[in-house]
Amino acid sequence: MKDDTSSFLPLSPATLHILLSLAADDLHGYAIMQEVARQSEKKYKLGPGTLYDNLQKLIQRKLVQERGRRPGDEDPRRRYYRLTALGRGVLAAETDRLNEVVREARLRLQVAKPRRA
Amino acid sequence: MLRLFYRCALRLHPSGFRQRFADEMLSIFDQNAGRSEAFRLLVDGLVSLFRQWTLRPEFWHELSPAQQPASDGIPSFCSLDPFRPRAGALIHGLVLSTAIFGFTCFAIRYSWIHILQVRIREVQSDSSRPIQSDSGPIASPSARSASPVVTQGPEQNSTLALPARPHSALHLPTLATSPASAVPNQIPQSPVSHSSAAQRPRSEANSSAGGVFESGGQAKHTLAPQSAKTADLRLNPLPVLDRPGILQAQPQQAKPEGAATAIVVPAAEASKLGVRERQRVIRGAVRNLTKYYVDFDLAQKIAAALLAHETAGDDDAVTDGAMFADLLTGQMMEVSHDKYLVMAYSTVKSSENPSAPTTAEVAGYRKEMQHNNCTIETARILPHNIGYLKFNAFPDAVVCGKTVSAAMTSLNNADAIIFDLRDNRGGYANMVALLASYLFDHPTHLNDFYDRGENSTEQSWTPPPVPGNRLADKPAFVLTSATTFSAAEGFSYDLKMLQRATLVGETTSGHGHKGMPHRIDDHFTIRIPGMRVINPISKTNWEGTGVQPDVKVKAADALTRAEDLAERKLQER
Repeated sequence: MKDDTSSFLPLSPATLHILLSLAADDLHGYAIMQEVARQSEKKYKLGPGTLYDNLQKLIQRKLVQERGRRPGDEDPRRRYYRLTALGRGVLAAETDRLNEVVREARLRLQVAKPRRA
Repeated sequence: MLRLFYRCALRLHPSGFRQRFADEMLSIFDQNAGRSEAFRLLVDGLVSLFRQWTLRPEFWHELSPAQQPASDGIPSFCSLDPFRPRAGALIHGLVLSTAIFGFTCFAIRYSWIHILQVRIREVQSDSSRPIQSDSGPIASPSARSASPVVTQGPEQNSTLALPARPHSALHLPTLATSPASAVPNQIPQSPVSHSSAAQRPRSEANSSAGGVFESGGQAKHTLAPQSAKTADLRLNPLPVLDRPGILQAQPQQAKPEGAATAIVVPAAEASKLGVRERQRVIRGAVRNLTKYYVDFDLAQKIAAALLAHETAGDDDAVTDGAMFADLLTGQMMEVSHDKYLVMAYSTVKSSENPSAPTTAEVAGYRKEMQHNNCTIETARILPHNIGYLKFNAFPDAVVCGKTVSAAMTSLNNADAIIFDLRDNRGGYANMVALLASYLFDHPTHLNDFYDRGENSTEQSWTPPPVPGNRLADKPAFVLTSATTFSAAEGFSYDLKMLQRATLVGETTSGHGHKGMPHRIDDHFTIRIPGMRVINPISKTNWEGTGVQPDVKVKAADALTRAEDLAERKLQER
């Protein structure tokens, strides 16, 4: 599993945000965009072109699965997307990797601080 | 508005992406109400469009069905969309493309037939061609002598036309017996004096010719105005070389046309040529060439060659007029290879004021035509009701229209018609048009005549069909031989181009141009081809090449063969 997921790393910011937004629940495209904006406190705005370009790739690499339309939705054109088990694994691996990066960064910054002072 | 653009941008995406995401992208667009937001989405859509086409080729046809390999001989089509168009759309496409194709073909053909004619009148730098508007049948001598500087107008052919008159009687027997090689040259000398009429300004030529002949009480057979206009003497069998014969008073021994030599005159009368005279002749040749020669660029080259020879001293040794004319003819020939371009010399001093064809001449021509039945040799019905007309010239329709019409009327009930032109030496364009009119049920464009001197193009059309004519839709055949000449070739060529007749026999002699005499001084005359026949369909003519028959057989066998063909065609009907 580790080997499978590591080949996808590191993830691009767009991919990371999309996977992250899908981690909690199945979402449609517009909801993904809004979730990404919320996660990044509106710092990172994902356009639909970029979103679907990434979804296309993620679906092809089987990190995301298309769940089709939901009857009774307010816009019948929407389709929902779900994170696959592989996608979840990749997200977890990326989170671990980022965790390492953050830990390393903090360590470095703590060491550096006294020098600067 | 922006939504429309956004939809267009989405539609332009690769089909794989579009089918999967376009609806959703549009739904997102619809969620965003703000104008600036919509604009941002549009830009995003365009960026996406660019990205999908350039960076994601693997997704272009993600959902399209697998391409079927095309089997041999069956056309295959690639479309941007994976779906098949509706049958209705295909039919619409078929109808529309057929209509456009048909319209394009029509437009091309229409433009072939209807040449745009832009007439640019040449600036008259000298008074050599007086524009006379006198409507009298023959320009009065006083009117002519009134223009003092006339050096090369109506009188150009004086050398030639005047001596021709006394001998006109001599042509009668030859015309009647008509050995093909000698006779072609006779017709132009006939009293109508083609050359003089054709050289005068067009308006005058027309009025005078028309006036003379109509006053004679003929021309009941009215011609369409256009054809009457082009009528005068266009295709008259030319050449030049009959002239020496006349001047030597030996018309029966006229040299075969094509052997381009100038006049040889007994030296006794010939005055010695000086430098000044030679210079005058060369200047005159250059002036006339650049003005009248049908190919202007070539005319300049010829003129340059003449002047170069003069400067080099090539002409200095020659003091004899005839030899000088020969020399100049040779020099022009070197450049032009044009056998109709000839310098002629005559010991007979040409008059400054030749008159137009006299009534005596007109009467003489009329008498000659009466005498030989307008050259119609046979007009009868062959077995299987095939009409057969053998005639050996295309005489002036103004004089012979009635006779020829009568002959055609006698063949009116035939089921097919054969024109025998094997011994035909050509003649008048108006007769070509008149005879051709029996083969069409509407006026038909036969030819264009480009005249370099006038810088104009005139069209020759068949006159409207005679009431009661029944030959318009009957199979027609034209018999040709290697001696079929000038206007007779024109008749064959026109009908062949219009696909109205089947030509049976041999390739014709190939004489489409004619040299018109232009007077340089009392003794020297230059004959210059100034006119070119342009067929509206082929855009060219038969000069040099002759007219190729559709069915190639020996001239002697042509009639039998044509009868066979006609019979077979009638059985098919």
